[in-house]
Amino acid sequence: MSQRRVAITGLGLVSPYSGDLADFFTRLCAGESAIRHLSTDDRPRPLSLPFVDCPGFDAGAALGKPLASMMDRFAQLGMAAAFAAWDDAGLPRVADGESRDDWGVSWGTALGGTQAYENGYRDLWLNGRDRLSPLTVLLGMNNAANAHISIQLALGGVSMSHTVACASSAIAIGEAFRRVRSGEAPVMLTGGSDVPQAYGVARAWEALRVMAPGDADTSAAACRPFAADRRGLVLGEGGAALVLEDWERAVARGARIHGEIVGYGTSCDHSHLVRPEAAGQIRALGAALGDAGLDAADVDYVNAHGTATAEGDPVEVASLRAVFGARAAGLAVSATKSMHGHQLGAAGAIEAIATVLALREQAVPPTANLGPDTLDPACAGVDHVFAARRGVPLRAALSNSFAFGGSNAVLAFRAVPQ
Amino acid sequence: MTSIETIRNFLHARQGIETEKIVPESALADLGVDSLMMLELIFEFEDQFGITLPEGMKSPKTVGEMVTLMDGLIASRKS
Repeated sequence: MSQRRVAITGLGLVSPYSGDLADFFTRLCAGESAIRHLSTDDRPRPLSLPFVDCPGFDAGAALGKPLASMMDRFAQLGMAAAFAAWDDAGLPRVADGESRDDWGVSWGTALGGTQAYENGYRDLWLNGRDRLSPLTVLLGMNNAANAHISIQLALGGVSMSHTVACASSAIAIGEAFRRVRSGEAPVMLTGGSDVPQAYGVARAWEALRVMAPGDADTSAAACRPFAADRRGLVLGEGGAALVLEDWERAVARGARIHGEIVGYGTSCDHSHLVRPEAAGQIRALGAALGDAGLDAADVDYVNAHGTATAEGDPVEVASLRAVFGARAAGLAVSATKSMHGHQLGAAGAIEAIATVLALREQAVPPTANLGPDTLDPACAGVDHVFAARRGVPLRAALSNSFAFGGSNAVLAFRAVPQ
Repeated sequence: MTSIETIRNFLHARQGIETEKIVPESALADLGVDSLMMLELIFEFEDQFGITLPEGMKSPKTVGEMVTLMDGLIASRKS
């Protein structure tokens, strides 16, 4: 069967900087951190940690009160991002005569509506109530975001969610890409959203000892991927969405094409739940390049998974060195999590957007809080981007997502002349 | 709070409907109350008034029918 080309015609996100997409990318290129200190009044011990939230997001204003009240925050962020991407693609929210029966949604979320269940536990066990709202199941279910998106945009094809920890939305995007490429779906809305500040979730992550410490003064620079003094990851909430569209359809309707998605590779380390292994990542990188028909020499930028954990960063660089060989030393690599944090199931989508914008704008965002003098020698061997670069031709780029559980996903993109 | 106030407050908060438009003659379906929202409204009444709605009861069609049903249950709880 002949394969279709897949255009990216819509990008949308709920920005932790509160601005629009252009503002998001400008701030990334400026090395500006969205990480703040989160302090809660939770019992028995308040949360106090570096975190990335979306303070400018007002669900009622963005979605309207009746719709927002049917959703947990993860679905609200997802729906808002989906609307933004849809509008960006120039597609009407209401089907205008055409059938959308084979248009679908492929969404990523690691936690789904965990917060709805946590609120339920709090009501039952802490507040002494003996009943829960009949909406609880509908707020909490993992497929709530994609279900709402399908309803709001009248999408009659597949509506599914992927839960693969930190690779959730990278896999959601890859699976959506395959459906458009095969001709099965002319349009797929894809992306991810997550809200990890549920009390039990944040405490559980703390127990893993992979979270960077920080207070009101130090939180902004708490996430330092590839640096010798890195202390771990910073969690964040977020939602990000992309519209993937059959290339010929997009061209025929005169849509703006931000970039082309050309490859998707997945693998499992199949060795350890949390210790990443280069062999598995190398297979995923190789699979993505092969799927895309790209040589290592064609790739000019990699948006790294780069969470700033002690174990993860050196393994990722080792994988890149193995795949790119002699070319690795000149391969531009940056970890934008240093600025927007780790949105778990939304991270892959946020980083896919950052990668597509890098290709579109021909500009590479840096890894913040990293310099030649702070680079961990164990992470050396690629061309780390310490400050934004412009004017360097970028032809193709990869975005890595490597999850707990050993699931790896790599997406490959090509620049499209604007 | 009276039963009609409970319905008005709920529908105003959820649907943004002006409270004066919610009158006993209003059909609940016309106010956007579907089967799911009916469950929410019942939950609201059980929560506020400490009543329990019997299983298998017939769903009210209008605001007035709902008020009558709820007032009856509230009165029998008090007696």
